[in-house]
Amino acid sequence: MAISFMIIRLSPGDPAIARLGAGADPAAIDALRKQLKLDVNPLQQLVSYIVDLLHGNLGTSLQFGSDVFETIRRTLPLTLTYIFFSAFFALLLSIPIGVVLGWTNKASFVYIYRSITSVIIATPNFFIAMVGILLFSIQRDWAPVFGYVAEFPQNLKFLWLPVAINTLIMTAIISRVLQSSVVETKNEEFVETGIIRGVSRPRFFWYYILKPSMAPTVVLMSYMMGTMLGATVILETIFSLPGIGRELVGAVLASDYPLVQGILLFFGVITVALSFLGDICAYLLDRRVKL
Amino acid sequence: MKLQKIRDYADRPGGFGIIVGIAMFAFIALAGIIYPLFGPYKSDAFVGDSFGKPSLTHPFGLDQLGRDVLARTLTAVPSDLGVAFLGVTIPLAIGTILGILLAFVKNRAFVSIVSSLIDGINAFPLLIIAVAMLTVLGPGLVNVVIILTFMNWARYARIARTRAIVVMQQNYIEAARLQGYSKKKIIFRHITPNVSSESLAYALSDFILVIIVVSGLSFLGLAARPPAAEWGAMIADGRTYIGDAWWLTIYPGLALCWSAISLSLIVEGLSRRDRGNS
Repeated sequence: MAISFMIIRLSPGDPAIARLGAGADPAAIDALRKQLKLDVNPLQQLVSYIVDLLHGNLGTSLQFGSDVFETIRRTLPLTLTYIFFSAFFALLLSIPIGVVLGWTNKASFVYIYRSITSVIIATPNFFIAMVGILLFSIQRDWAPVFGYVAEFPQNLKFLWLPVAINTLIMTAIISRVLQSSVVETKNEEFVETGIIRGVSRPRFFWYYILKPSMAPTVVLMSYMMGTMLGATVILETIFSLPGIGRELVGAVLASDYPLVQGILLFFGVITVALSFLGDICAYLLDRRVKL
Repeated sequence: MKLQKIRDYADRPGGFGIIVGIAMFAFIALAGIIYPLFGPYKSDAFVGDSFGKPSLTHPFGLDQLGRDVLARTLTAVPSDLGVAFLGVTIPLAIGTILGILLAFVKNRAFVSIVSSLIDGINAFPLLIIAVAMLTVLGPGLVNVVIILTFMNWARYARIARTRAIVVMQQNYIEAARLQGYSKKKIIFRHITPNVSSESLAYALSDFILVIIVVSGLSFLGLAARPPAAEWGAMIADGRTYIGDAWWLTIYPGLALCWSAISLSLIVEGLSRRDRGNS
């Protein structure tokens, strides 16, 4: 929390000037600085910010004059929903791909698979999205080019393409990690024991192969959710989804300082919470992991 | 003779990927340097009908104002790869030196404060911080480099510090110290070269990430602004017309992929070679 505050405060430049333009009236700049409480020293700024925060007050958006917390509450659920679904589908796809490729470890398949995933990882998500729009929205009429309707059955039509693109990128990264940890697990002695003891197939794959291999994957996923928040900024802009990422870009373009700070704070909280959750899950899956 | 050497290199584990990657990267880098100097069209000249289809005279087609897309795509190379290069090398230099110096500091409290600052910076997603800091700094490619420096030094500092602590315990450092070399000489001549290999390896994979971040920011309209030739900005520009003129979006995107893939081939090849040797 303090970091999100510090990063934005420590960065050189003056938000009041950024908002009003360099040639603005000095009196107006002073007034805005006073409104943003920038006219006191940094320590006092931090204290007053924390006091406001404890009262649940994130400030008022300069663009809309609305409460920042309200804006976040309005836009966050959509973003979290589709990040959650992408993560879910990515996991669903990665487990079979990772386990099968890791277990058989056939050189030619692995080579092809690694080449494909490298290409996906090296391609910026907005380019994948543009190609997706070109293929599915313009060539075929399977998805609307952009826009959003908030009601339940209709919104799937708008959401499936962004979710599919997110899933594709996440699957590429996650299944790679899972695959290489399955290869590592395979050489452990307990796997040999499992084969010799004749453990039944599903049980063998689940307890002897997958569970010990999952820890790095889970940690990576919790870390990736944070990165995904960054990716949503771009995807939401492309698909015009009214999520928190697009709100952030709008706020940045309008130099809406309190809103940017508020959203950043939320992202910080989510990132930290997720990485904590990831560590706990990793520990539950594999007790050898140190917390 | 020379060809044989390259062929031998390609036969080593990962060598083929490295050579292909270097060739691909060199191709686009050279094209980006040569085309603006000798190419038939300027990136901001109006040379034909708007939305001209790709043809022999304009292989990548023309954009909404009748500018040559090939010229724009290649003119963008310095601003894309150049900015990304600066955004990797500056933090690499600063972070490595700070990390090595940090390894020398004995004061526990100071080290733990700086380390937690480093971890704090590393924990945040780069793109989001960059977006947020651009609110304060204002859009522009120079500001993007400043932000990348501000955010990325921490990663290199951590890598360098971890490595420097190991290197400092080696016998050759002890030997240098016993020979009475000055601390400065030991740091720059003996420690830095041994620390930097790991940082350089990371920098290469960071390069891909930074290219994507720079073009992503331009795509959002926060780095290079539309009239400038920049891949992200061009893709954002072409987005409005994607139904009628796919070439506005696809070609800059392919250039972007081309550069990122060439680098990832090099990274993969190097890591495979490491594994092959060990």
